Amino acid sequence: MAETAQSKTGAAHGETIHLPAPTAWPIVLAFGCTMAAGGLVTSLWVTAFGAVLMVAGCVGWFRQVLPHEEHEEVPVIAQAVTITTTRHVVRRLQIGPEHRAHLPVETYPITSGIKGGIAGGIAMIFPALAYGLIAQHSIWYPVNLLGGAGVGPSAHITTAEIATFHWSWLVVAIVIHSVTCLLVGLLYGAMLPMLPQRPVLLGGILAPLLWTGLLHSTMGIINPALDARIQWGWFVVSQVTFGVVAGLVVAREGKIRTSRGLPFFARMGIEAPGLMESHPDAGPPVDKEQR
Amino acid sequence: MADQTLPIAGSLDVTPQRLSRAQVLEWLHGWVVTVDHKRLGILYVVYGIIFLLVAGAEAMAIRIQLAWPGMHFLSPELYNEMFTMHGTTMVFLVGMTILFGFANYLVPLMIGARDMAFPRLNAFSFWMTAFGGLLIYYSFIGGFGLYGMGAAPDVGWWAYAPLTARAFSPGHATDYWALALIVAGFGTLGTAINIIATALSMRCRGMSLLRMPLFVWLMLVTSALTLITITPLTAAQIMLLIDRYLGGHFFDTQAGGSAVVWMHFFWIFGHPEVYVLVMPAFGIANEIIPVFSRKAIFGYPAMVAASVGIAFVSMGVWAHHMFTVGMTSVGNAFFVLSTMLVGIPTGIKIFNWVATIWGGKIRFATPMLFCLGFLFQFLIAGLTGIMLSVAPWNWQLHNSYFVIAHFHYVLVGAIVFNIFAGIYYWYPKVTGRMLSETLGKWHFWLFLIGFHITFDTMHFVGFLGMPRSIYTYEPDRGWNHLNFIISIGGMIQGIAVLIFAWNLVQSYFRGRKAGNDPWDAWTLEWSTPSPPPAYNFATDPVVHSRRPLWDLKHPEDPDWKYEA
Repeated sequence: MAETAQSKTGAAHGETIHLPAPTAWPIVLAFGCTMAAGGLVTSLWVTAFGAVLMVAGCVGWFRQVLPHEEHEEVPVIAQAVTITTTRHVVRRLQIGPEHRAHLPVETYPITSGIKGGIAGGIAMIFPALAYGLIAQHSIWYPVNLLGGAGVGPSAHITTAEIATFHWSWLVVAIVIHSVTCLLVGLLYGAMLPMLPQRPVLLGGILAPLLWTGLLHSTMGIINPALDARIQWGWFVVSQVTFGVVAGLVVAREGKIRTSRGLPFFARMGIEAPGLMESHPDAGPPVDKEQR
Repeated sequence: MADQTLPIAGSLDVTPQRLSRAQVLEWLHGWVVTVDHKRLGILYVVYGIIFLLVAGAEAMAIRIQLAWPGMHFLSPELYNEMFTMHGTTMVFLVGMTILFGFANYLVPLMIGARDMAFPRLNAFSFWMTAFGGLLIYYSFIGGFGLYGMGAAPDVGWWAYAPLTARAFSPGHATDYWALALIVAGFGTLGTAINIIATALSMRCRGMSLLRMPLFVWLMLVTSALTLITITPLTAAQIMLLIDRYLGGHFFDTQAGGSAVVWMHFFWIFGHPEVYVLVMPAFGIANEIIPVFSRKAIFGYPAMVAASVGIAFVSMGVWAHHMFTVGMTSVGNAFFVLSTMLVGIPTGIKIFNWVATIWGGKIRFATPMLFCLGFLFQFLIAGLTGIMLSVAPWNWQLHNSYFVIAHFHYVLVGAIVFNIFAGIYYWYPKVTGRMLSETLGKWHFWLFLIGFHITFDTMHFVGFLGMPRSIYTYEPDRGWNHLNFIISIGGMIQGIAVLIFAWNLVQSYFRGRKAGNDPWDAWTLEWSTPSPPPAYNFATDPVVHSRRPLWDLKHPEDPDWKYEA
C-alpha cells in the first residue's frame, strides 16, 4: 500500500495555488471597533471616527468577497522533501500475560450488584433494628440517627427525640439507605471478580471492617454529634451482614464475559459509517449477537 | 524503512538580507494585511510573548513590594493596578493569545488544510485582540482617575461588585477594563468560531475525527468551550457599563441588584476559562510527549473522551470560587462534588501521559523537559485543587496565598511550562532554525527552580494566613522570610524568561538549520518545509492513520494496521 502524506494521487493544482488575497479591511474594521469603544471613555469624536472606520471596513470587506472572493495566485515551486527517519528499528513492548492479570475477562452483570445491594440493604435492617430495640428500647433510634444525619446537624437533639417516630426522618433515612445500598451493591458487583480466591470473605467481612475503621477514624471530624451516638460494635455487625448477604447474592449470579477483547468503539456500541473503518485484512463484520 | 520523496514546493528564503527602506515598509505592510494563518499565528505568539514580559515585570514589581514587611517600593494605588493588570494581562493577553496563536499556526497544517476556514475573520480576530490589549494599557496614560500614577484598572482581574460601582471606582479605569476586554473578547470569539469550522470541515482526505491529532481535538473542544464562556463575561461587562453610566442596578445591592450576581457571571466565565487555557496546553503535551518517548500516545480515544468530559464538567463548577459567600448546604455540596468530578478525566490524562512515557525511549530535549515539569506540577495543582474543592477547607483558606499558589501551579506550572515546551518544539518549523539547546536547558532549570521556590513556598504563607491582594504586612506575622524567599524565586524565574527571550532572538539569526523534521515527528506539519510555504501543501495530503509520517517512515509496520 503506497502511503504518502501528500499523495501523488491527490488533487493536482498546476503551477499556482489560489489563496485568499491579503486585505487591510479586517484591521480597519478592528481598529474602528476599538476606537468606537475607546471613545466612550475619551471623546465622542473618537467614537464617531471609529464608527466611520467600521462602516468603511465593512464596505471594503464586503466588496472584496461579494460577489466573488478575491484571491491571489501563489506560484508553486516543486521541491523534493524527504520524509525519513534515523531510527530504523521498531521494537514492540512485550505484553506478557501478567499485564492483563487483573483485568477481568469474566464478570458479574450489573444487575447482580443491584440485587446484592437490595438484599444486603434489607438484611442489615434487622441487626440495626435489634440494636435500637435492645440498646435504646426503640426501633426508631437507628432510623432517626441516619435520617437526622441527612437533614442537618443533630447536636442539640436529645436521645428521647431520636427514639420517637418522625415522618420526615424516616423518609430521609429510607432514601439515604436505599441509594447507599444500591451504590455499594454496584461496587460489590464490580469489585468481587477482582478479589482473589475468597470474594465473599474479603468483600463480605474484610471490606466492611476496613470501611468501618475508616469511618471510625474520621466521623469525629465529619460529624462529631453523630460520632458520639454510634455504637461501633453494632455498626460492624450491620455492615458485615450487608457485606456477606450482598456478596453471596452477587456470587450466586452467573458470570458473563467482558468485552475487553473488542475495539473501544465496538464496546461503546458505535457503528456509524466513517467513524470506524474496517481493516483490509479484517474478517467479516461481527454483529452483536456473535460476540 | 524507506525514504519517501514528495513533490512539495520550496520554503521561504530566510537568509538575512540588507533591506532598503521601501522593502522594510513592504515587509511590514505584508504583515499588516496578511490573512495567512501562519503569519497570524506568529503575530499572536509574538504579541503574547511581549505581554508576557510586561506581565512578568508587573509580577516582579509586586514581589519586590512584598519581599519584606513595610516596603514602599510601590504606592498602594499602583500596587492595586499592578496585580490587576498582571492577572488581566496573563489571562487575556498572554495565555489566550499564545495558545490561540499555536492553534492558528498549527491546526490547518496538522489537518492538511491550506488555511483556516475564514481567513479574513482570522485577521479581524487577531487585530481585535491586539487592539483590546493596547486599549487596556492605554488606560495607564488615558484613564484619568484620582490617583497620581495614572489610572489603570485596579479592581482585580475578577472586578467584584460593588467595588466596580462608580462610587467606589471613580474615573475611567474600570471602564477601560470592561471595554478593552469586550473588544478582545469579540476577537476571541471569532478565532474560536474559525477553529471549530476549520477542524470540522477542512480536514484532508482520510483524516476522520478519530485520526485528528490530539492538539486539534483539544483546540476544537477549547473553542467550543470558549464560545460558551466568553459570552457571560461580555454580557456582565455590558451590564456593568449600564450600571455605571445608564443608571442600571444589576450589581447595585442598595438598589435591588446583587453583587453576588456579578460573581456568578464572572465565575461562569472564569472557571471554564482555566480549562480554555489549560486544554491547549494539554494538546501541546499530547504532541510532544509521544514524540520524545518514541511511542504512540497511550489511550487516544480515552484522551479525546477525557477532553470532552473536562469541558462538560468544567461548566458546572464555577461556584467553588464562592463557597464563602454563604450558599445553601445543597449548593455547597453540589459544587464540592462537581469540582471533584474534574479529577476523573484529568486523572485519566495524567495516567495516559505516564503510560505513554513508560517503556519509551525517552529523549530529554528541552521540549520534553518542560512537559515533564508540567506533568509533575499539574498533578500537584490538581491535588491542591481537590483540597480547595472541599468547602470547609476552602472556608479556611479562601482568599489566602494558598489559593494563589494553587492557581499559579495551574497557570504557570502547567500552562506556561507547556507554552515554553511548544515554542521549543515548533520554533524550528516556524523559523527554519533550531533554538539553542544549551540556553533552553538553562532556561528550563532556572525556571523550574524559581517556580518551585516561589510557588511551593506560597502554599506555606497561605497556611499561615497571609491574604491575597494585600499591599504590605506587619513584621510580626511570621511571613517575612517566606515572602523574601518567594520574591527571590520570582527573580530567578525572571532571569530564566530573559534567557528564553534572548534565545528566541539569537537563534533566529544564528540557530542551527532545522530541516523539515528535526524531531523525527509524526504529524503532517513536519512533512512541509521549514518554514512552510504560503499554501502549506502543494498537493492535498492523504492520511491513513493518526501518525501519517510514521506510516511513511515505517511502511513495513504502519499504524493503520493497528488502529480501530
